[in-house]
Amino acid sequence: MTVSEKVALTQAETEIINNFIALKGKLPQRGLLLETARKAAMDAFYKHGLPSRRMENWHYTDMRTQLICIAPYSSKSGGALAAPLLSRSIVLGLINGQAVIPSHKAGKKMPATPFGALLANGEAELPQDFANDNVIAQLNTALVSDGWKLDFPENTSSDKIIELQNVQNGAQSHVRFPVIIGSNANVMIIERQIGNDEESFISSVSNLDISEGAQVSWIIIRTRGMTSTELNQFNARLGKNVALKLYIINAGSRFLRQEINVNLDGMGADFQLRGINLLSGKTHTDTTMVVRHLAKDTTSTEIIRNVAIDEARGVFQGMIRVAKEAQKTDASMICNSLILSDSAEFDTKPELEIFADDVACGHGATVAEIDRDQLFYLMARGIPEAQARAMLVKAFVGELIEGFDRKEMGEVLHILLDQWLQVHI
Amino acid sequence: MPAAQETIRQVHKIDVDQYKYGFETKIETEKAPKGLNEETIRFISERKRESGWMLEWRLQAYRRWLQMQEPRWARLSYTEINFQDYYYYAAPKSQIEPKSLDKVDPELLATYEKLGIPLKEQEILTGVRKQGERSELDSNIYASDRVAVDAVFDSVSVITTFKEELARAGVIFCSISEAVRKHSELVKKYLGSVVPIADNFYAALNSAVFTDGSFVYVPKNVRCPMELSTYFRINERNTGQFERTLIIADEGAYVSYLEGCTAPQRDENQLHAAVVELIALEDAEIKYSTVQNWYPGDKEGRGGIYNFVTKRGDCRGNNSKISWTQVETGSAITWKYPSCLLRGDNSRGHFYSIAVANGHQQIDSGTKMVHLGRNTSSRIISKGISAGFSENTYRGQVTAHRRAANARNFTQCDSLLIGNDCGAHTVPYIEAKNATAQFEHEATTSKISEDHLFYVMQRGIQEEEAIALIINGFVKEVIQELPMEFAVEAQKLIGISLEGSVG
Amino acid sequence: MLEIKNLYARIGETEIIRGLDLKIEDGEVAAVMGPNGSGKSTLSYILAGSKNYKITKGDILYNGQSILGINAAERAVLGIFLAFQYPMEIPGVAMMEFLKVGMNAQRKARKEPALNVSEFLKHVKAMAARLEMDMSMLKRPLNVGFSGGEKKRAEILQMVLLNPKFCVLDETDSGLDVDALKTVAEGVNALRASDRSFLVITHYQRLLDYIVPDTVHVLYKGRIIKSGDKSLASYLEQNGYTDIIGEPI
Repeated sequence: MTVSEKVALTQAETEIINNFIALKGKLPQRGLLLETARKAAMDAFYKHGLPSRRMENWHYTDMRTQLICIAPYSSKSGGALAAPLLSRSIVLGLINGQAVIPSHKAGKKMPATPFGALLANGEAELPQDFANDNVIAQLNTALVSDGWKLDFPENTSSDKIIELQNVQNGAQSHVRFPVIIGSNANVMIIERQIGNDEESFISSVSNLDISEGAQVSWIIIRTRGMTSTELNQFNARLGKNVALKLYIINAGSRFLRQEINVNLDGMGADFQLRGINLLSGKTHTDTTMVVRHLAKDTTSTEIIRNVAIDEARGVFQGMIRVAKEAQKTDASMICNSLILSDSAEFDTKPELEIFADDVACGHGATVAEIDRDQLFYLMARGIPEAQARAMLVKAFVGELIEGFDRKEMGEVLHILLDQWLQVHI
Repeated sequence: MPAAQETIRQVHKIDVDQYKYGFETKIETEKAPKGLNEETIRFISERKRESGWMLEWRLQAYRRWLQMQEPRWARLSYTEINFQDYYYYAAPKSQIEPKSLDKVDPELLATYEKLGIPLKEQEILTGVRKQGERSELDSNIYASDRVAVDAVFDSVSVITTFKEELARAGVIFCSISEAVRKHSELVKKYLGSVVPIADNFYAALNSAVFTDGSFVYVPKNVRCPMELSTYFRINERNTGQFERTLIIADEGAYVSYLEGCTAPQRDENQLHAAVVELIALEDAEIKYSTVQNWYPGDKEGRGGIYNFVTKRGDCRGNNSKISWTQVETGSAITWKYPSCLLRGDNSRGHFYSIAVANGHQQIDSGTKMVHLGRNTSSRIISKGISAGFSENTYRGQVTAHRRAANARNFTQCDSLLIGNDCGAHTVPYIEAKNATAQFEHEATTSKISEDHLFYVMQRGIQEEEAIALIINGFVKEVIQELPMEFAVEAQKLIGISLEGSVG
Repeated sequence: MLEIKNLYARIGETEIIRGLDLKIEDGEVAAVMGPNGSGKSTLSYILAGSKNYKITKGDILYNGQSILGINAAERAVLGIFLAFQYPMEIPGVAMMEFLKVGMNAQRKARKEPALNVSEFLKHVKAMAARLEMDMSMLKRPLNVGFSGGEKKRAEILQMVLLNPKFCVLDETDSGLDVDALKTVAEGVNALRASDRSFLVITHYQRLLDYIVPDTVHVLYKGRIIKSGDKSLASYLEQNGYTDIIGEPI
């Protein structure tokens, strides 16, 4: 869309722009670089607006119509952090967009700095230019106020698990997690997106730079209330022989766009994604992923399982791109959806874009209902229908949790899954 | 590995100039003035001796087209088309409409002879025509070897064969221009009912300026006694061909229709924007096969046909069935998505495709299966081969609407890459809007396996032939959907398109 | 017929054949046995001309001529046949078509006239019947969906029809039950002739009860460490490889 044919600003667009103007001088920042970055980001947003379905990457998620109005910005600081999912993890929290400095000793020893402090010192980095349809980077850069920067030195071992908590109770926030992982480090990070039922608007961007030989598990768990709007971007660059496992469990949010951009930059790098979408109510949950194989001998496997009930609408767009240099790439992507109501919908767009000839790439996608024969079999054994259905749904998504390499985490996820099933199925 | 490198080396040597149909027919033509405006449309309508309603329809389409923008979402890159730079009507002076065989210009007859298209019924009937080679090993021998042909040369239909015999069965097979005049009630009822005039940019353009094409009506409970086919030839320089085909299978009818096309070798790009509408009423079946071999351009990527085609079938009645089979080897640019609207309960839509891209060809092709009725099913088998510097994209959409209970789809989409300068892309859109839809989609991209090659060569088959054998196997599932005689042609054509790498 | 002289071969960086010597006379049936990973399958691939292996030293002479410089298809034309341990599944190519193309390619290379189709069909039918194969299998895509046993029979059928001079059978017994094993062995035995030789590669003696070898060779770590007559096979069956190799495996 060129400027000349730009249509009138939507209410949400106007609110975002006014918000930016109102916040002028109030957001933490020091130095010209940050100021120009924020301005460039808002200029790009003003120029391109919220993405519409005319943009191929937003084919199923028209933000111009989805985002009617947005929760206002407010500096209130109500709420508390949640108990960590695993007892031995260290919580680095954000409440309504403000970092909570941990009081306990272990937390202080962590290689973590509040991003707001870095912005205020002029030590933070923000992107300077933006793709037309990269609305998440545009908004987040223009409005980011805090977050956590993590810096894991070489050979960091895995005994401490970090739980990033982004608690949002109403209002609006924009947070950022720059993460640097040194070579041969072994780390596990849980990203929890939580909050109460007040209407909220959140953008959250994580940027991971992972050096040679490191092994990283990153788990995003989203159980926010059904009135929140969240834009989340997970970006990672993988060096030589890096293994990144990304788990995403979505069981909340009215509107969610979860973007995943992974660049397999070094030879032998491997990316594994396991995604579970538990969609209910009137949610619109969009997972859009681009995996770029840029070096030889890189591998990736993505498995997504979706359950949609009520009037939920789910979207999975997954793209595997294989560059000319990335010979011997082995990539596969599978997306299975279970639609449990006639008003629910799931749209899948699994793409392959391949420029190297010595590769084995594939994708599979299925849409199905609950197997009637299996259901009958269970009911014939005396299990009530609702319970039998829940069992089959659990089996469908539970399979992905089984593969979890940390047993205790798997147990936590099973509990989460059971809770959702109990309420919704 | 070394074997693959060898293959790549050979592909690099491929010369796309192997196009066998690149000759030009010297014939005096009458053309509309260059460019496109309402006058051009009036000129076409007048030459076609159309009545007022048809002209109004065209003008309405033209006015809509003026407000539309050229779609750019496909994975195709080409310089902007100047629509004023084309002739929208060109016809041999001697031939404003179809004639009986003895009156057709011998130059035209010679052209079709050279292309291997028989127009003389006598010869066909007495078996002068060369038939496809058959052996005891082939199990699928097509029952009838008689094919009725509508031959379209630039903007006019030259002749339609077997018309009388078809008429005895009640089948109407003629050029669309003739149908507009002689069967206007049918045309009025169905034209634009599957592809509305403003459906998309190219369909609107076609609706405004379409010049010829075929019309088929098969009445209730009639099984069309022979294969019907249209052969399209673009000859004139800078001429766009805008064919329009309309096929109606009434309740319980069956028809199998074939389409072939070629064009002379020219340095500039020629434009081809067709619209094909199929309507299958209750219990009817239409089988539509295409072997597309427009001039693909030379090895530097100069010239070649720009092929923007809207093909859509409407399974309007319950238990109806439409199947598209296509073999795409030609054109510089292909933008084509033969689709099925599965409206009737229990209706079925099939799409079988082979798309071969070599040289600098770009293909963005696939299908849409729109499930609207209950218990509808669709099947998509797509085989893409990319070689040289080509880009080959499969784009397909499968949608089950709210009320399309028990919709079923199976999609298998495989790509083969030969060489490291080409691209193979897969863009499926899978949309499920009800709880009883069941979709299965599978896609793979790979190269010819070294292990397979070694196994075949171990039996004494040299590399070129071994690759050809494996590629034939790769496309077999689609080839066997074609009528026998087309299948032989298609297989040869794929061989020629990849010549140098696969013998 | 065949002479392998001080052969060294590697795949990537790994040396698998390390100084292998082996001589097979006209009409001889030689068995090569050895524990897993000794290089048995590698030997069969190298003889057939796989490009995955690099010959670093030594030579392979076939009827006195080196065959190292010629590719798999040319070797096949010379009469070398490999019955694969794991035959490839090739979608869309019917076995019958494959056989016809293969036979005609070989005939063409030898400047012989192309096949007479009806005679060929008759011949195929007769051979398939002898191997207890259903004709319908021949119309199915090559090896696709065949059971292990069907694949092995299909390999032997190809061998019989292509009429080679030197046949390499790579673990043809694996995946076969006793009845199938007998049928396959009969097919092989029927081909035994004074101008045709066999190299039978196997892990177990079982196959050698039905295809009785003239010589038996033990392959270990890429070289022949012991040769003998058929009694060597029985010895191995009873005592295992350990004392011949001189170390536990």
